[in-house]
Amino acid sequence: MFTQIRKRDDRIVPFNETQITDAIFKAAKAVGGEDRQTAMELTLDVLNLLKQNFQGKVFSVEDVQDAVEKVLIEKGHAKTAKAYILYREKRSRVREARSELMDAVAEILRETSRDNANVGNSPSAKVLQISEVASKNYYLKRAIPEDEAKAHTEGDIYIHDLSWYGKTMTCLQIPLDRLLKEGFSNGHGYIRPPKGIKTAAALAAIILQSNQNDMHGGQSFAYFDRDMAPFVEMEYRRKAKELRETLEKMGLPVDEDKMMAIVKDRTEEEVFQAMEGLTYNLNTMHSRAGAQVPFSSINFGTDTTWGGRMVSKALLLAFEKGLGKGECPIFPNLIFKIKQDINFEPEDPNYDLFQLSLRVACKRLQPNYSFQDASFNAPYRDVEVAYMGCRTRVIANINGEAVSNGRGNLSFTSINLPRLGIRANGDLTSFWQYLDEAINLTIKQLVSRYDVQKRFKVRDFPFLMGQKLYMDSEDLNSTDTVEKAICHGTLSMGFIGLAECLVALTGKHHGQSQEAQSLGLAIVSYIRRRCDEATKKYKLNFTLLATPAEGLSGKFTQYDVERFGVIPGITDKDWYTNSFHIPVEYDITAMDKIALEGPYHKYCNAGHISYIELPSAPDHNLEAFESIIRAMSEADMGYSAVNFPVDVCRECGFNGIIETDTCPKCNTTGRISRVRRITGYLSTLEMFNESKLAEEKNRRIHMRLQ
Amino acid sequence: MRVAGFVEESIVDGPGVRFVVFAQGCPHQCPGCHNPLTWDLEGGKDATIKEIIRMIKKKRKNIRGITLSGGEPFLQAPEMVLLAQKAREIGLDVVTYTGYTYEELQQLDLPGVQELLDASDILVDGPFLIEQRDISLSFRGSINQRVIDLAGTKATGKLVLIA
Repeated sequence: MFTQIRKRDDRIVPFNETQITDAIFKAAKAVGGEDRQTAMELTLDVLNLLKQNFQGKVFSVEDVQDAVEKVLIEKGHAKTAKAYILYREKRSRVREARSELMDAVAEILRETSRDNANVGNSPSAKVLQISEVASKNYYLKRAIPEDEAKAHTEGDIYIHDLSWYGKTMTCLQIPLDRLLKEGFSNGHGYIRPPKGIKTAAALAAIILQSNQNDMHGGQSFAYFDRDMAPFVEMEYRRKAKELRETLEKMGLPVDEDKMMAIVKDRTEEEVFQAMEGLTYNLNTMHSRAGAQVPFSSINFGTDTTWGGRMVSKALLLAFEKGLGKGECPIFPNLIFKIKQDINFEPEDPNYDLFQLSLRVACKRLQPNYSFQDASFNAPYRDVEVAYMGCRTRVIANINGEAVSNGRGNLSFTSINLPRLGIRANGDLTSFWQYLDEAINLTIKQLVSRYDVQKRFKVRDFPFLMGQKLYMDSEDLNSTDTVEKAICHGTLSMGFIGLAECLVALTGKHHGQSQEAQSLGLAIVSYIRRRCDEATKKYKLNFTLLATPAEGLSGKFTQYDVERFGVIPGITDKDWYTNSFHIPVEYDITAMDKIALEGPYHKYCNAGHISYIELPSAPDHNLEAFESIIRAMSEADMGYSAVNFPVDVCRECGFNGIIETDTCPKCNTTGRISRVRRITGYLSTLEMFNESKLAEEKNRRIHMRLQ
Repeated sequence: MRVAGFVEESIVDGPGVRFVVFAQGCPHQCPGCHNPLTWDLEGGKDATIKEIIRMIKKKRKNIRGITLSGGEPFLQAPEMVLLAQKAREIGLDVVTYTGYTYEELQQLDLPGVQELLDASDILVDGPFLIEQRDISLSFRGSINQRVIDLAGTKATGKLVLIA
């Protein structure tokens, strides 16, 4: 009867009534029917209806389906009709999701998303980002429990690194000493223990890269100076032997003291070159998802052996020198461990390294500083607490040894604090109730994700587990699950926007009123208490995180502006303030900010950071820089950094404040690179996403004219 | 005293973190001055010595010392002396800026000049000369300006420079 039908993409194709029969029969079978004959008869009814309604005009697939539904219902086949309708809806949803996905893919192909300031623009980057979007879609719709997925898509919580949900864990403090001592394999052959410092440094870079392929988050060394020191000594002994043999072969007298001095100098030069090579490597190896360089961090500064000190010094000097044209290295994140009796007072053995670090930080915005004597770090003084550049901290352990090495974060999820404040509408009792609900859901979600992660097999992680990097992975075989190892990891509950939440609840943020500050501390300490309770209940390491929030900084605000409109002091800008920070745009002095933010560090055991914004690098005033660091220590901070504009002319390497697009030194225009802090690590401004750009523009200098 | 304003925590007006008092009124009016709003003697606002000392005391824990800047502090030297003396009393050191040269100050016929020099630890002297501008200098803008150690200068009888 009919010859044509219009498809959903508007193509006109030949019409085939057998397809109608097939569809009806399929639906009938689903509810227990067996009779194809009935389906054929019903098809005739459908065709008659179509003839009646369309009278020769071309109809669409949707029109046919509408007709089928009508016929099934009117002819009394209710169960079949229901099955048919449900199947039709399901297909429709799949099509929508696919088209959303296609839209997202199209956008990626147009430009590279700025969600992560580390990502470049290459073809690899695009392919990997498309796979991220597809993964996210998949997990949200098929793997994650519905209530959790809903809370995420609606902006009540944010499940970080969603595209990695069914694949891996976040980060690791890599036990470098063991790998270098025993050698390792990264798939294509065994790599022998190094015999010199340059090889050791090259292998350190390879190790970071290899493990980065198995995880989506930071890769770090907790004791870099200590772990490299043996190779400095090896280098020294080897050079001494070579020089001695050469002198003997030439029949020359060996002046021990002179010889040792020469060998020491040569060793120091070698160590410097090794650190330079490491820095170059870590800024150029594109191997992380989305074709980024590994997110690498190095903790150092407390080894007092001459080899360790040489490593620390060389690392700092290499960083100061910068990359090929003197550019500011973005990686590795350097974390100088401040520790009483080691490097904080003039009489301490490594005080000179601390002084050097200040000089380097003035130029390079790094190192950042961790405080080993903070009240919450001091109990672990002997093993030391290692951080990640972004601020992640792993130390306490309900399932074993309380160390950082061989452990890391498994996943983290953030709560939209400002929204809870907005919803409470001034009623504190409601707020605490909403907060409890959010915490409960987040705990549930973290556990859901852990339940997926604990079933991963060792063979899913060729390097991480295959080479036994994770704590307690030594005895696991390739087909074992990783649970025995990752039970030492952390499940972190995070938050952003405490300031905006406080404005919603009290009208002021914690920089503006003591009442807000008290409430802020009460809120954060409460969430921490719930984490501690969850730790005991589930025997897993639940920790509270002051979320780094790079991609997230604008997302929650976006959702909330759509839902609640523009609320002054809360949703009237493009971002929510990071974690417990005083809003960047608020006029407050450095010392006051330090005093207000310090008390929050101890509650955020999964990671915390505080920043001070200076108008320019304090390179003429290291004393002032040091006072700021001391004030941070006194305020019981655990991890902190000082920010200031670092503008570098890519042409001549001039480093300072460049207000226009022209270099004041060499007069070249358009070659200015502006390095700024993003969420603990550095990037250049053109890599910032929109919310972080907006936030950066508003950063107030903490030393202004009153 | 007539002031342009204060910076409670500065790292660019002398060594360490410092509390800066910007005097209102300046006769030098150097081309390229950072703070031309400070030139007008009638500009700025009034602040009592007592108020300023209270502000300084509040910051006592966070700062190494105070800096007297502006404008030209020596136009209000007697009041500046009171601030400087109080600062020293509570353990803070004093950096004083001036658009006069040290030598000019010796001849200057204004009240309190010698007292203010005695009450200060460091003097940053000289007008800002734009043709001698050097952005790599610390705490000052042009090469002719000097950072003078006043105690050392007094002891030796000769100019002792820190930078």
